[in-house]
Amino acid sequence: MAPDQIVDGLSEVSCDVLVIGGGTAGPMAALKAKLKNPKANVVLLEKANVKRSGAISMGMDGLNNAVIPGYATPEQYTKEITIANDGIVDQKAVYKYAQNCYSIIEELDSFGIRFLKNENGDYAVKKVHHIGTYVLPMPNGETVKKALYRQLRRARILISNRYMATRLLKSLDGRIAGAISVNTRTAEILVIKAKAVILCMGAAGRLGLPTSGYMFGTYENAANSGDGYSMAYHAGAALANLECYQINPLIKDYNGPACAYVAGPFGAFTANNEGSRFIECDYWSGQMMLEFYNELLSGKGPVFLQLKHLHPETISEIESTLHKVERPTRGLFQQGRGVDYRRESIEMHISEIGFCSGHSASGVFVDDNARTTVPGLYAAGDMASVPHNYMLGAFTNGSVAGIDAMEFADSHDFADFDAADVAMERDRVMAPTKREDGIPPNQVEYKTRRLVNDYLQPPKVTRKYELGMRRLAEVREDMQERMIARNAHELLRALEVQSIMDCADMAVHASLYREESRWGLYHWRTDFPEKDNENWFCHTLLSKRDGRMTSEKRAVDPYVVPIADDERDLYDKQRIRATA
Amino acid sequence: MPLASYQTSVPVVVDDAKCIADKGCTVCVDVCPLDVLRISDISGKAYMAYDECWYCMPCEADCPTGAVTVNIPYLLR
Amino acid sequence: MSSPFESYDDLEDADERLQAADPAERRVAIIALGHSGDPAAVAHLANMVADPDAGVRQQVAMALGEFDGSEAANALVKLLVDPERIVATAAADSMAEFKDPACAEIILPLVKHAHAFVRMGSLRALKELRSKDTLKPALEALQDSDAAVRVQAIGVIGFLKLEESIPALTALINDPDAHVRRAAVSALAFSQMKPAAETITRALKDSDWMVREMAAETLGLNVNGAIAADQLIACLADEFWQVRLKAIRSLGRMKVERAVRPIGNCVNHDQANLRKEAAAALGEIAHSDGEAFLAVIADDLDPDVRKNARWALQQIAARKARAGA
Repeated sequence: MAPDQIVDGLSEVSCDVLVIGGGTAGPMAALKAKLKNPKANVVLLEKANVKRSGAISMGMDGLNNAVIPGYATPEQYTKEITIANDGIVDQKAVYKYAQNCYSIIEELDSFGIRFLKNENGDYAVKKVHHIGTYVLPMPNGETVKKALYRQLRRARILISNRYMATRLLKSLDGRIAGAISVNTRTAEILVIKAKAVILCMGAAGRLGLPTSGYMFGTYENAANSGDGYSMAYHAGAALANLECYQINPLIKDYNGPACAYVAGPFGAFTANNEGSRFIECDYWSGQMMLEFYNELLSGKGPVFLQLKHLHPETISEIESTLHKVERPTRGLFQQGRGVDYRRESIEMHISEIGFCSGHSASGVFVDDNARTTVPGLYAAGDMASVPHNYMLGAFTNGSVAGIDAMEFADSHDFADFDAADVAMERDRVMAPTKREDGIPPNQVEYKTRRLVNDYLQPPKVTRKYELGMRRLAEVREDMQERMIARNAHELLRALEVQSIMDCADMAVHASLYREESRWGLYHWRTDFPEKDNENWFCHTLLSKRDGRMTSEKRAVDPYVVPIADDERDLYDKQRIRATA
Repeated sequence: MPLASYQTSVPVVVDDAKCIADKGCTVCVDVCPLDVLRISDISGKAYMAYDECWYCMPCEADCPTGAVTVNIPYLLR
Repeated sequence: MSSPFESYDDLEDADERLQAADPAERRVAIIALGHSGDPAAVAHLANMVADPDAGVRQQVAMALGEFDGSEAANALVKLLVDPERIVATAAADSMAEFKDPACAEIILPLVKHAHAFVRMGSLRALKELRSKDTLKPALEALQDSDAAVRVQAIGVIGFLKLEESIPALTALINDPDAHVRRAAVSALAFSQMKPAAETITRALKDSDWMVREMAAETLGLNVNGAIAADQLIACLADEFWQVRLKAIRSLGRMKVERAVRPIGNCVNHDQANLRKEAAAALGEIAHSDGEAFLAVIADDLDPDVRKNARWALQQIAARKARAGA
């Protein structure tokens, strides 16, 4: 029997809090919601299997943004993040993260998640940045998911694996009512009624196309196809600053992270072909990527992660982390090429575009309680708009979301949704399975993502964006009218392509709306090369109104941690111009 | 338009002699984030059914008998 | 359609499945019990520690790591002494996951086991349990013939952070093994008292560069670290730039003004990392004598060096302005 045959079926369950996405933020949100009200039903829905899903599937090799007493203060961290994001930050959420994250580290430690400690049991915090000290290595961090799963089972969370959520359900008065999902192995539909829903569905990491010849890169978990952005959009939630793309440095060809944050504390650095550092800016940012991009094009490239100046014993220590945690196949890759870090540097490149607040500042708009603009709907982790989240931000904000969502569920009854919405969604989901002949999802996906690379990769040129928009609209039509799925697994991919297409459209719309350049390479518009604080020192919010994509400005909330002019200048002086 | 299948060398290799999927084990199939592994109806052993890998390794790391190997595929090497 | 949720009935036919004739089937049953999260699974797993199949016992050891507490510890200590290394290794890894202090008294007897691997594994597990009862046996284990055991014993003592262990840790400064000496220096960081600082100061002259590096770094974390200022300054001539770098960082953190010149002399070193650290330290000390050195590297090829030099000059200017006002 061929695997993954399609079964016709629909069932319905209900719960108090529904968490969608079982990667990093999701398990924490589910756990905190359940601990807040142990009598309540908490469902954790996951497209893969929570045992090994999400960006930290194979663990994490360190915390990049740990605010630990004695090493950094919440005020200092908030300042750094504000400056790294060109000031477009609602500080309240960042500050709250900075205040809470240490207690989350302690909690994770109690779960059995392993952080590097000195022989006196204190966390071995490392200095990488210019001013603050935020890096806490996790050389044995490969078991993060195992420790989380243990907690979920202990709390008896209702775990639903291999269900892909496709759309949110709302009541007539606009409150969240639940979600619709589809089994990825049988295509059966599951409707989940819920009083509150938390979206923890990860980055949109499958937007640009790697040049390897494979559709999936090694940087983001390829399951992170932007489903959360698409669902939030169709539910009418606002999405913030999507034009602030994420672009990452990665190991060329391997297409995965080199993890300069692992090697950095030991003295490794990103160097050009002359063996010299070239990155001026301190914090990971679009500015950093612009400097990277410029160096690659300047004739001083290629760019490398250089370790060979370090002592062989130090390199062995770095290798033991790099080749065991987060992306263990890096070791296999280097070995296959005969690269020995003691003699040779690691050739680096920059990635294709994606959305991810992990190292950037875009996402479903949330306030400091992780609330979106839809009542009862929350978001946390890489898909929510709190900037520079990384893994610890996902845990910390997931925790905030879980607690607040349970409070919401405790004070609200189920909202009613229209049964016709379910029927319509079922038709949309199943459409590719009803066709006898057509285009397979992988080809629709390839074409969409190739267009993203050709037209959307910065520098952003208005004319190219307009052309890209037209081409994407043509592919969308093919996707809606002609795409076929012959089994449930192909249907999963077919649904993911639709999320990718939505994200591409949002990327275009958001980028054309902001008529200035900001965030270095992330939003470098050749037609508006200057930063324009007078008109654009604001967030942009994208949302669906009356079926159409719209954008509007939203003022940046007053800072809770003021930034003095000379502090801003100190950073600005380190910068090179976008037009260089 | 008719569809054709396409030749590709897959990265995940399962040693049938070590694999205990026929005894009820589903570890590698469960942990795969992209859901590309299946258990064969014929041999009862695990195999890579879809070439959609991101080389993350849980299938190899979590296999109780060391039957799974993840290779870096040709185009990436 | 079957239930969309993971089952919580894993224990239902556990006993029957654990008695399957085929070891592979027993393994599959054990994996399910490990994932169950149900504390009642521990009793079933504990029954399997004498399984004739080493692979099964290894699986039991791994599954027990999903639980915590005395019952799981009692089963794991039996597996830690298993003659098969794969079983013992899995048991050691699982035991290191424990957080419940009640496990300490169960693991403690193994600290005196005949095999070094068992002694090491049990001490490693005791670290995180932070039980005061472990201090005495851990202190005794500092005399162990095996260096890896001594390193683990240091961790147990260091995690307890008790001043009374300072003399024993101090004695390790003369240990023949460099890893032991390095661990001892790292453990001493818990104490903010002078004796610890004095011991770490002596380690600045260790024959092994990694011990010297650790000592130079650790002194910066000790409030009495400044008593070692002259010795740290002497480290600026160390043959390893890695040691110099940590010495510079500590001197900067302690704002030792007489270190300005010797640190300044490092700004011409060919390692950019060292030049960068020197610039940053001159900024932290913020003494005007640093200006001349910083001027040398204001146009350094390395942007991190330039950045730190610029910042340092601003710190010095700010201090002058404060003094003027």
